[in-house]
Amino acid sequence: MKNLAALTLSLAAGITLAFAEPQVGQPAPAFTLTDSDGNPHNLSDFQGKVVVLEWLNHGCPFVVKHYESGNMQKLQKDYTGKGVVWLSVVSSAPGKQGHMSPEDTNKTKTEKGSAATAILIDEDGTVGKLYNAQVTPEMFIINSDGVLVYAGAIDDRKSTDTADIAGAKNYVAQALDEVLAGKPVSEATSKAYGCSVKY
Amino acid sequence: MFRLLSVLVLTLLGTGPLSAQMHNGQKLVEATLVADTTAMVPGKPFRVGLHLQMAPGWHTYWENPGDSGLETTLRLQLPEGFTSGPLVWPLPQRLIEPGDIQVYAYKGETLLTVTIMPPADATGPVEIKARATWLVCEAICIPGSADLTLTLPAEASGAPANTDLFAKFDALLPSSEPPPFETLWTPTPTGWNLGLRGITDARTADFFPYAGETASPGHTAPREVANGNADISIPIDGSPPVRGVVVLENGSRHGWIIESGTGTPAESSAFTPAPPPSDLTKPAASLWSILVFAFIGGFILNLMPCVLPVISLKIFGFMRQAGDSRANILKHGLAFIAGIFVWFLGLAAVIVALKAAGSEVTWAFQFQNPWFNFVIGAVVFVFALNLFGVFEITLPGRAAVSIASAAGHSGVSGSFAHGILATLLATPCTAPFLGAALGFAFTRSPTVIFAVFFAIAAGMGFPYLVLSAQPGWMKHLPKPGPWMERLKQFMGFPLFATLLWLLYVIGQQRGTEAVIWAAATYLCLGFGAWLYGAFLGPVSSPRAKWLASAGIAAALALAIGYFAGNLFAGAAASVPSAKTAANTDGIPWVPFSDAELQKLLAEGRPVFLDFTADWCITCKFNERTAIDTRAVREAFAKLGIVPMKADWTNSNPEITRKLAQFDRVGVPFYLFYAPGRADDPVILPELLTEQIVLRSIGAGKP
Repeated sequence: MKNLAALTLSLAAGITLAFAEPQVGQPAPAFTLTDSDGNPHNLSDFQGKVVVLEWLNHGCPFVVKHYESGNMQKLQKDYTGKGVVWLSVVSSAPGKQGHMSPEDTNKTKTEKGSAATAILIDEDGTVGKLYNAQVTPEMFIINSDGVLVYAGAIDDRKSTDTADIAGAKNYVAQALDEVLAGKPVSEATSKAYGCSVKY
Repeated sequence: MFRLLSVLVLTLLGTGPLSAQMHNGQKLVEATLVADTTAMVPGKPFRVGLHLQMAPGWHTYWENPGDSGLETTLRLQLPEGFTSGPLVWPLPQRLIEPGDIQVYAYKGETLLTVTIMPPADATGPVEIKARATWLVCEAICIPGSADLTLTLPAEASGAPANTDLFAKFDALLPSSEPPPFETLWTPTPTGWNLGLRGITDARTADFFPYAGETASPGHTAPREVANGNADISIPIDGSPPVRGVVVLENGSRHGWIIESGTGTPAESSAFTPAPPPSDLTKPAASLWSILVFAFIGGFILNLMPCVLPVISLKIFGFMRQAGDSRANILKHGLAFIAGIFVWFLGLAAVIVALKAAGSEVTWAFQFQNPWFNFVIGAVVFVFALNLFGVFEITLPGRAAVSIASAAGHSGVSGSFAHGILATLLATPCTAPFLGAALGFAFTRSPTVIFAVFFAIAAGMGFPYLVLSAQPGWMKHLPKPGPWMERLKQFMGFPLFATLLWLLYVIGQQRGTEAVIWAAATYLCLGFGAWLYGAFLGPVSSPRAKWLASAGIAAALALAIGYFAGNLFAGAAASVPSAKTAANTDGIPWVPFSDAELQKLLAEGRPVFLDFTADWCITCKFNERTAIDTRAVREAFAKLGIVPMKADWTNSNPEITRKLAQFDRVGVPFYLFYAPGRADDPVILPELLTEQIVLRSIGAGKP
């Protein structure tokens, strides 16, 4: 009977965990997704490397802001050049804005000049919900130990205006510089801004 | 990608220009700058408003857009010497997008206003230029902007203009005045509990938070006002100060801007009018009455059909103890009561933990988990075999605790385990009083939850305490004798009946196959128990012991590894459907969905709403004896009442939410929506008779 009570309690504890959101400072939730070239990627494949997750929807004006200006591509190029793995995740459901076939995804990737390591297709939204990604662009940084070290906005200028990029503080660049220098992330969370993820 | 057209149009009133945002040939947003006066009067403040009219289905955002989106902005360019106040926002609506993304927005139209103060020496005409930017979203989002100009003549006096428009949105402006009700801020592990007390004339209460400087509150949700009270939880890490608009709705909406204190417990808001120290008196008084109800409810649990098998066992145990010393009897009674307390306080701890994790927890939620039913079934089965004498447990050191010793021996640990088992089986029966106490508890702080569960445990344990302390009151019970062995065996049958009920519930949750695999698991457990009883006694040879142990290990491995872990786990969950609901009885039940209910009510149809679950014996009893009867069926048909069934056998968040609207956390629960009273359903008692049902639906004799 005691065991039974213990069992019920641990069952309940399991439920509790399942409901918990990813926490900065905790291990990043594991996932496997297929990229636009048909290759599966498991988060654990990148153990030992710093990983950036970027929630992407090219139809969203907030995403457009960072791609039209070249801001996002520059970040991707700069940091993949320093060994960072950059994964763009598309959680748009089929038929919703931002959802694309793998071919169109690759075509758009070339057109936009994306330097992401891979674009992951999450059309059932599992990984988006796992990370509680609510907007595009929403950014996550996972350090080489697999710990989530940043979650939030790309920068501190909540707008769709490309003119705002110049004076903005880029939280992602700041956090990546700190992580790569082995320092703790000074601003580890921010409120992400953007369009809702089209689950 | 998208085009933005700015068109200047003169309106009839000459109030100002208009700009339309076009997308794929559809006009998405029409933006106009309007003034509340026909002329600027030097030195006299007036207002201008940005009037946004959105295409159907599209929305623009409030000053705190919520999880996604962007607030509308208005930048004014004023002539020299003019000053302006802040942008003032009418009450937003809450919109929820797929993926539980919650935003605060305006649909249809909105008017964002600014007060402008002209200098005393201002001369006209005055040209007010404004740049408005917004994000307009439906399934997709499109940014828009407009450069607007408004020209007003300067005159000695002005006549009001656009009065209807301003009046319409002024009615929706949140007030900075103290609200006409009490606000009680209590920090919780997950943020704040905003208690609203003494609300008159409102049906629902809601809270729209402003964005915080560092952290912003998470999702809030509207709550039903019950007895003038509503409690809204505001999730935010660490309970920092929170500001927002509390909105009461009763046909129309009214808002008040309120803010929390800094985090001291049960602090009354600074806006509360002449706050009496009511955080100590009034809620405390209601807490006491709730605790009394919880105590009575706990006492009544003893009489519930689902605990009766264990209760009868326990009474039998008391009878056996009657020959013991008084001190011994008291010790057993206290151990039994301790078991009750451990279970209820453990349950309270789990609920507090789950509440902290933000999931929806309700009474009897454990019976919605088929694994829980499965494990309880195994315990009940093994327990029954023990009563039948299939095996006895004789462990060295008689104090050892195990499931079996709990059944076979009335040691102190056995009494303790009995206490746990009795309460375990009692949970799905929400006795009428308990319903109210629990509804109260689930919206309160952890301390209160613990207090309420403590009171329930005390109520349930009370009769045993009395009987253990005064065993003399049991003197009239028959003397112990060989008949007790027969009685013990007989007690196995109610347990088997309980097992049947559990299997029925498992069948409803997971299908017939799951019942078979559960039964196969139990069969293996039974075989293991028999081997144990037959060959592991103190007189068996070492070889027999070894073989029997191996056999038990094999039976357990088969039971747990194959039947439970593989086959039972693989049986698919069944979702209650219209078909299963309709097949269970003769009433043509419509399965519950809030959308369907609202549709029926909008059509003016009367609706009888039955919240039920297969594991709820009271629900089934009511259905059989008071609802699915010939008279009620005929009355339903004659009066055109739509019977709707909310089947809560498996966890269903939509039903949980509906229950919460009425401050309920368990079933049974019955509502009757009379024609034209869609907002004010009749709440039926939890224990029904045919007469009560007929009277409630207006078909009975008075």
